[in-house]
Amino acid sequence: MSKHALRIIMVVASVVLMAGVGFVVKELLIPKSFGLYGPYRADAIDEETQRVLRHGTNASCFGCHQYEATIHLTGNHKTISCEFCHGTYSDHVSNGRKIATLPVKKGDEITTLCLRCHNTEIKARSTMVIKTVGVPDHLKKQNVKLTHTCNQCHHVHAPLKYINEAKKITGLMEVK
Amino acid sequence: MNPTLYEASQNLSHGASMLISNYVFPNDLHVHWSMMIVLYPYITGLVDGAFIIAALYYLFDVKSLKPIARFSLLFAFAFLCCATLPLLLHLGRPERNFNMLLTPSPSSAMAGFGYIYAVSMGVLSFIVLFVYRPDLVERGKNAKGFMKLIYRALTFDSADLSEKALALDGKIIRFLVGLGIPVAAVLHGYVGFIFGGVKANPTWSTPLMPVIFLFSACVSGISAIIIAYIIIRKIGGRSVDSDCIRTCIKTLTVFFILAFSFEMLEVFSHSYLKTGYHHMVEGLLNGPLASSFWLWQVKICSVVPLILLGCMAFITLKDSIYTFIAGIVSCILLLQVFIMRWNVVIGGQLMSKSARGYTVFHTEWFDKEGIVAVIIIMLIPFMILFVLGKIFPFWAEERKGGIQ
Repeated sequence: MSKHALRIIMVVASVVLMAGVGFVVKELLIPKSFGLYGPYRADAIDEETQRVLRHGTNASCFGCHQYEATIHLTGNHKTISCEFCHGTYSDHVSNGRKIATLPVKKGDEITTLCLRCHNTEIKARSTMVIKTVGVPDHLKKQNVKLTHTCNQCHHVHAPLKYINEAKKITGLMEVK
Repeated sequence: MNPTLYEASQNLSHGASMLISNYVFPNDLHVHWSMMIVLYPYITGLVDGAFIIAALYYLFDVKSLKPIARFSLLFAFAFLCCATLPLLLHLGRPERNFNMLLTPSPSSAMAGFGYIYAVSMGVLSFIVLFVYRPDLVERGKNAKGFMKLIYRALTFDSADLSEKALALDGKIIRFLVGLGIPVAAVLHGYVGFIFGGVKANPTWSTPLMPVIFLFSACVSGISAIIIAYIIIRKIGGRSVDSDCIRTCIKTLTVFFILAFSFEMLEVFSHSYLKTGYHHMVEGLLNGPLASSFWLWQVKICSVVPLILLGCMAFITLKDSIYTFIAGIVSCILLLQVFIMRWNVVIGGQLMSKSARGYTVFHTEWFDKEGIVAVIIIMLIPFMILFVLGKIFPFWAEERKGGIQ
């Protein structure tokens, strides 16, 4: 066998060797718990359970905020999470104790917040699911000042609370 | 959606100063796979096409391709070096690509690509080294110190240039090129498969996708080789081998006819089968993509080159004119393939999973995946090619003896 042929055989052998080393390195680098339950690291489950919970449920809030709860649970917003508008639970409560006050939305911030879902232009869901409005068209239609914020007519927890109460008093029906 | 409804929704959205039409899911508004994912199949396509030219010479003995066979190999190698760059740039955490290679999941199409890419890179590297061994041996003789070591490594520490040794090299090259063809085909067919495998997208989810990608890859690669050959030779004040150009154009014609036919067959099968989401695909092609698909991809960049290629096939042209038209056709076809990738990748994402609305794509200059990034990534292979050219001579006539 010529020297050249021998070199070629050595090249082939080194390629095979490299592939083998690569395979071993690959096996060494794979975390031990990988594949125990499926194509993922089983330890990741434990690690995830150790994460400090940031969010609570509405029930967590209602424990203290009973007045808001009675209104919230009777209105059209009853399925909306408190945190959606008010912020993260853990920024407010830690180990069952109040640690800070969540920022309260005021003025135009309220309108901005409402329009995250209720803006006609978003078209996120059908009007059967969510009532959407265009601003300022809606304000013009209702004959109110264009500077009006949403919460001047709508209770933020039960949007139709004041509207329905007004209807009861005046006996007015909405024009269809 | 029929065009009238589409227009109505466009007017409606225009009135509301919105860029979307009708109903688009919030997570469909943004086009997630942007220009980097357009570049990715484009670059692997260039590799494939260039490799086909090299394979025609080294395996199928198409002698007229000899002047560009070696250059095609280097061109393919330079672009293959950068094939994963767009993907890595697209990732938020590029270093995590190694996780995918460590624990490839059979349900992950991308994991497979990593391995196919590695095999392809290995095969191409060895082909280049074996083809250039005589040159490297010559250079190694005059090198000193560290460079001598490099040359010894690149020549497998064998300075044997006897006929017997070169004959063995020739056999190895043929074997590797033979192996390289399915590897290259799988590499790019796989790119098409990655799109074709997305069941949720009706424009991509077709078994024709790998075939279309493969043929258009050959078109773009051969076109790129033709242009690069003509330009580099002209700049260097050297002659252009017209026989070689003619063979390239003939090969290009075959692949382009196949690529264009399959592109149109795909539209035809969508329109004939009228599957569940056909109205969305039809609305997409006649709405947001009306200009980039029908006007640019089909009319300007496919029909015009077909006519030009037809003229080149049936009319006897002077060599200089033939070369000139070959350059023009290749430029148009490079653009055609790029637009095709654009229409598939970005176009496919312009429709919402709601099957009711379409969104728009905004190109940006200085984004991570913007136009400047695209230009830089496309320049890198040419820089690599320039550096490679210093060690590996592009043209066969620059060296004497050895494997031709």
